[in-house]
Amino acid sequence: MRTLNVFFAIGGCALALAFAPKDLHAQAPEGHGIAGFWSLAPGPTPPRRAPTPAEAELIALFPEGTVLLADAGAVEFPPGDYGGLEVHEHLREAAKDYDPANQTDPSLTCRPPSVIYAMQGPFPIEIFEGRDLIVIKLEYFDLVRIVFMNETEHPDDWPHSHTGHSFGRWEGDTLVVDTAKLSPATLFNNGVDHSEDVRLLERFRLADPNTLIVTQEFEDPGSFVGRAARIMTFRRGDDHVYPYDCDPTYGIAIESRQGRD
Amino acid sequence: MVRLSKLLIVLGLLAGGGTASAHHSAPVFYKVDERITIEGTVKEFRFTNPHAILKLEVEGEGGEKQEWTAETTSPSVLRRRGWSQSSFKPGEKVKLEGMPSIDGSFLIRITRAFREDGTEIGLPPGTNN
Repeated sequence: MRTLNVFFAIGGCALALAFAPKDLHAQAPEGHGIAGFWSLAPGPTPPRRAPTPAEAELIALFPEGTVLLADAGAVEFPPGDYGGLEVHEHLREAAKDYDPANQTDPSLTCRPPSVIYAMQGPFPIEIFEGRDLIVIKLEYFDLVRIVFMNETEHPDDWPHSHTGHSFGRWEGDTLVVDTAKLSPATLFNNGVDHSEDVRLLERFRLADPNTLIVTQEFEDPGSFVGRAARIMTFRRGDDHVYPYDCDPTYGIAIESRQGRD
Repeated sequence: MVRLSKLLIVLGLLAGGGTASAHHSAPVFYKVDERITIEGTVKEFRFTNPHAILKLEVEGEGGEKQEWTAETTSPSVLRRRGWSQSSFKPGEKVKLEGMPSIDGSFLIRITRAFREDGTEIGLPPGTNN
């Protein structure tokens, strides 16, 4: 009888494993559960739609007067549209000369944006949570961010880059990341760049084990007035970020096309 | 023989502003709210980021040979829809559906691709990305 019970127990476990959903938490450590592969949820983001209760909680943390930009995800503002942000006159004038066709120039094709624009791009991210640092790997342009959890300030001599220097802390269930030392790069992909003095504050919070909400707030007095923000919602996936390996010559194929009028 | 059919599609998404893949913007070169279909023979396929490039020979309405350039979205996205470097082989006949160029050149932004027997290559947009 006992043998039969063991047989059924083993059989039941095997059956359960066979029909169990894939373990989406395979990489989640004992820590805070944000580790893993995340893809931007399809569809519009606030303010193009009403926020979910979890998104609304994070939006409520924005300082009064913050402009929530409506271009997160696979949406871009057309030329001259800065989502209600008061961009300084000299940058708006300079943006009139911006020619997006130059994106096929081999010298520009593989120049990455900074993490301000890159985090909202329609590419997945992968997060690794360690004790003293958190690594955020973006598929977009192979950008890799290191968030130092054991630091509290930005070193004066840290070089500027597209990922900058980041330190973080946990405020309850929310990862708060402060980033500076970002190289000038596009804000909207329509001709306006932020300066090297831009400051970025991000919050990462799980709405549920498979839904990660990320907000970005940024200030850059040399580029625009006040404070801007974006909000993105990511869904957990069972995957890894792929190499991007940008090929700068793709634009040559576009420019060599035949049959122009 | 070229088979060029034009279908106007109102995407609606455009109402609130331009819609595009980030950084390498489709609206720069393409009429994103229109679709055309072309059939031709694959000459070359390069499956690299930021966008893959397919060169194919298409027979024009007067029987003349046209060299078309077909651009895709990011291969990173397409890999998750089942595409790879071996998705297209030189000499293979294919049918492409996509956005026509703004300047009238032989340029198309692929939205869907089919083999000669009608089999779709990979999964269509929105199914696994």
